[in-house]
Amino acid sequence: MLPETVRSPAPPPRPALPPRPARPPRVIVVPQPDAWRAALARTGAIVRHNTILMLREPGPLASRIVLPLAFLAILHPLYEAAQGRSAGVGQAVIATLVTFSLLALSIAGGSILTERIFHTWERVRASAARPAEVLVGKAVPVMAALLAQQALIVGFGVVVLGLTVTSLPLLALAMVTWTLALLALGAALGVLARSFAELSAAYDIGGMILSSLGGALVPLAAMPGWVRHVAPVSPGYWVAAALRAALRGDSAGTLSASAALLGFALAFGLVAAVRAGRGWGRSARM
Amino acid sequence: MLVAEGLVKRYGARRALDGFDLTIEPGEIAGLVGHNGAGKTTFVEVVTGLVRPDSGRVSVGGMDVRRDPRGARQRLGFAPQELALYVSATVRDNLRLFAALAGLRRAALHRAVARVAEELQLTGVLDQRAGLLSGGQQRRTQAAGALVGSAPLLLLDEPTAGADPQTRAALLATVRDRAAAGAAVLYTTHYLPELADLGATLAVARSGRVIARGTQDDLVRGLPGELRLRLGGTEPLALPAGIAGRSRVIDGELRVASTDPPADLATLLAAGCSPVAVDVRSPSLDDLYHALAPEVSRAA
Repeated sequence: MLPETVRSPAPPPRPALPPRPARPPRVIVVPQPDAWRAALARTGAIVRHNTILMLREPGPLASRIVLPLAFLAILHPLYEAAQGRSAGVGQAVIATLVTFSLLALSIAGGSILTERIFHTWERVRASAARPAEVLVGKAVPVMAALLAQQALIVGFGVVVLGLTVTSLPLLALAMVTWTLALLALGAALGVLARSFAELSAAYDIGGMILSSLGGALVPLAAMPGWVRHVAPVSPGYWVAAALRAALRGDSAGTLSASAALLGFALAFGLVAAVRAGRGWGRSARM
Repeated sequence: MLVAEGLVKRYGARRALDGFDLTIEPGEIAGLVGHNGAGKTTFVEVVTGLVRPDSGRVSVGGMDVRRDPRGARQRLGFAPQELALYVSATVRDNLRLFAALAGLRRAALHRAVARVAEELQLTGVLDQRAGLLSGGQQRRTQAAGALVGSAPLLLLDEPTAGADPQTRAALLATVRDRAAAGAAVLYTTHYLPELADLGATLAVARSGRVIARGTQDDLVRGLPGELRLRLGGTEPLALPAGIAGRSRVIDGELRVASTDPPADLATLLAAGCSPVAVDVRSPSLDDLYHALAPEVSRAA
């Protein structure tokens, strides 16, 4: 009971409200500085661990980095013959970057599927790490690998083939937003695939379809009319558009295409988050 | 350290947990036993926060698992039933990750990894890939991941399933040590002799709830043991009425379920029975398990 001096006067009578269902109060825990440090340390540990996992099985990473350079070195004369030197080199670099970065979905999807198959996902979920820490910890090494792959392809184009990059910041923006879309798409495949065979089929077939449909391998102008109509449903279309705009220094074109890529990233990321939230423990299979 | 009250978890029409209650004190090893589908693993998953109960509450070290799942998880070490190891990483890398997730850093982390590796006889394989280890070594690595953070609550879900005697002995010794140091341990198993070795208290689960809880002595007391008599003669023996209903003959040995073997033996001798050998078998955890889960006995 409150002391007399602080007791409020009796409130006026109010109409009776229907009873509310019992629900625990919503608690929002704001991390304190120590909690932030602990979260950073946990995230760092997950980044370190996933980097080790990727480097212990370097085959997929190495092939995704070496193959595109070989592809570019062999096929760029074809593109130059078809489109002229400058445009041909640009198209060859974009075709290689889009096609092989889509194939690199295996790295993103595989890192999640591996955790599922070996039951480590549930074990890490049962630790003190927040879901965001786990996701960031898994994404950072894969993102670094995907960006390194793209940087190598562009670097090869600039140094060996004489590719002209008008705006490096725009190119970086296009590459980063594309990488985010790839990460989210890879995560979605990683949570939905039931086996490595399924995942392999998805990124092999899907990657080739998405890059072809988007006009990355062959310019849309040279494709059938129906392809031009459906091309925008493919993220490959938007990354090709973003890269072309970035190479010629077109800010508006790069920004709009990059925004579309972020939209794909959000959509795929949502699918991955919803499915991952249900877990894969024994109870989730009941 | 662990308090679970009235937990209910439904999967469609099936109730995996149906009013599950369990309390474990610091320093206590609680053996959770029950047939497949009794709710053991679902209960462990609820405690870890991997599964949300439909109703009831569970807290770890005073932290409510539903309201503050991370706070609760910071206080537990978990070894799931299925092997959950990063097979392409070394044992050291596996343990480093779980130690770091438990909040250990730098020198403390390295000490914890070295200590748990020594306890579970993994020092020699610390730098081997987990996928190349023997089954027993993998089981020990799995348990080491739960123990490395020195959490006040350990959830060990069938940690010795398929393990060799060396693995079992190392693990049981380590669990005993951790409990002696104050950790509360929830230990699910189908190997009941392990619980006797651990000196664990018992919780017997059936159909999603705990149907018996107490020390082994408390629960076994009152159960019938067995009086075994190897009979010398070949003539049929007329058993006294009070004993006939509790008796069976196996390979020429008369076995009488008995809570008072001396009295039953006296009755049999008075009835003309002349055994060449007498043995008394005390009630065991197996007897308790079969008494509390008769459907398992029938299936066996």
